[in-house]
Amino acid sequence: MTTNQAQPRFSSILQTWGLPIALLLIGAAMSFAHPAFLTTTNLINVARQVSINGILAVGVTLVLLTGGVDLSLGSVVALAGVVAASLAQAGAYPVFIVVAAGVAAGACCGAINGVVVTRGRVPSFIATLGMMTAARGLALVVSNGRPVSNLSPDFTRLGGDLGRLPIPVIVFAVVALLAWVVLKHFRLGRHIHAVGGNPEAARAAGIRVGAIGMIVYTACGALAGVAGLVLAARTTTGQPNAGVGYELDAIAAVVIGGTSLSGGVGRISGTILGVLLIGVINNGLDLLAVSSYYQAIVKGVIIIGAVWLDRNRQHS
Amino acid sequence: MKNLTLKCLIGVLAITLLGGCHRDDLGTDGKKKIVIGVSLLNLSSEFIVMLDESMQAKAKELGVRLIVNDAQRSADRQIQQVEGFIAQGVDAIILNPCEVDASSPAVDKALAAGIPIINVNSETQSKPTAFVGSHDEESARIAMEHIATLLKGQGNVVMMQGFMGQAAQLKRDQGAREILAKNPGLKLIANQTAEWDRAKAMSLMENWIQSQGSQISAVFAQNDEMGMGAMLALERAKLKDKVIVVSIDAIADALQAVKEKRLDATVFQDARGQGATAVEIAVKIARKEPYEKETFIPFKLVTPETAAAQ
Repeated sequence: MTTNQAQPRFSSILQTWGLPIALLLIGAAMSFAHPAFLTTTNLINVARQVSINGILAVGVTLVLLTGGVDLSLGSVVALAGVVAASLAQAGAYPVFIVVAAGVAAGACCGAINGVVVTRGRVPSFIATLGMMTAARGLALVVSNGRPVSNLSPDFTRLGGDLGRLPIPVIVFAVVALLAWVVLKHFRLGRHIHAVGGNPEAARAAGIRVGAIGMIVYTACGALAGVAGLVLAARTTTGQPNAGVGYELDAIAAVVIGGTSLSGGVGRISGTILGVLLIGVINNGLDLLAVSSYYQAIVKGVIIIGAVWLDRNRQHS
Repeated sequence: MKNLTLKCLIGVLAITLLGGCHRDDLGTDGKKKIVIGVSLLNLSSEFIVMLDESMQAKAKELGVRLIVNDAQRSADRQIQQVEGFIAQGVDAIILNPCEVDASSPAVDKALAAGIPIINVNSETQSKPTAFVGSHDEESARIAMEHIATLLKGQGNVVMMQGFMGQAAQLKRDQGAREILAKNPGLKLIANQTAEWDRAKAMSLMENWIQSQGSQISAVFAQNDEMGMGAMLALERAKLKDKVIVVSIDAIADALQAVKEKRLDATVFQDARGQGATAVEIAVKIARKEPYEKETFIPFKLVTPETAAAQ
């Protein structure tokens, strides 16, 4: 990136603080527009409502950092949800087995994505598009095309609250913290960045590019499994049709958070801000009773606008 | 080499699959069995799965063969499937239309080929040989009337819409608004889509609890998934005993919730009745017997009192 003589200070400030400032401005505007926005209950609601997208977005960040993409997440969410729900029938299996099965279902899908992308050298867009279709089909097979309900209270409790804190939010926080630590303080994190920045250079430097790919896709799938568990527990049912389009919501949040679609550049903190920004806008527009037609337009404009700004400051 | 192995594999697979479809065109009496082509809206929806099961059961009972295709919500695919049925020379076609306008060419093509076509569950712009289904507006009228009764005509109502622009959403919206217009004491204070989805409905309800607070006296959700979502959100906010929730479809979860007095009511659309009747009429037409041009299967309100009986 070359320095721009005309506006060096301002652009670097915008680069670091643009997203938090945007979030604060929108938050402030919503607080004035509706008295219910800035209340503890509502802010907890926002956190609860973003947690599933947040968990997925953390996984997507890892994949995008390596220069790949994962389109299978929504279907994997549904698959993990119905697998968990089938095991979570009242009196069937203890909760830890249900949770392990859900996460494992997601991790398996992710690992298959990883093999196809790294070994088969199939572009990630195509590999995960295939998985998107196959995992949806598998979810329909597992559930016979019907929602799986009557889940044990032990399991659905995972979608509830611990004191005032929603458990989905705690899960999101733990997942985000783990990813942040790994990316920032572990060699694996540096390798993930390196692979996405320049795979040839990374390979020359002795990084096992294939292994990194496997780890990243498997982790992303496992996180989709976690999101599927949270969704099933929250809605008290495992649905084969759940999660359609979730991958795109997650990618949108990650990209708004400043992660580059071409790999190598991005941060978990940005992703969290991106997730929160979308959540605050959804919540605020619902509070203000804005028509769903206009909500869709607003969201689209914000996604394009955020990336536009981001690209321009990277070029300047 | 790799390529060749792959081709061989595909070849073997194709042969096995073809060989697997044995032909049973002859009935027990030795006469040619009646064959009915069925194109369904979407087999990953619980309601359509029930429709399919009831058709299969009725076909078995009547000794006819069904070829069931899943259009997966695509009107274009549906037209192709009907073209396929015409090419196979089926005796009748049952169409469960994806869309009012876009699925119409399927009806036109079948009629032009001289094959009777029966629409089940929803309508198309073109008039088929026969129709079996329910008036979607009616279900919303029943639901909203029940809300009016429970509230004694006075209160604030919020409405959760389905996927905007779909026939079911438009008709249920219309039916609900007819009843609202007749009850000036009922006020629609918020109205938003949750896209038929339980998780989205939970978020929407949480947000409404924030913005409307204790003003909401009843929720009308255009399907049970959203009704369940609204109910769960209200329960978690400890408000369910103050707010009435009524929705439509009578899916298994909702029936259970009504029995447990968590959901106030749902409206039963008789998938089994629709599927069985459609097959019966298709067979009558194929056998050149007299048949009903339009059959309306009535909706039923399911309340905790009536649910116990089911």
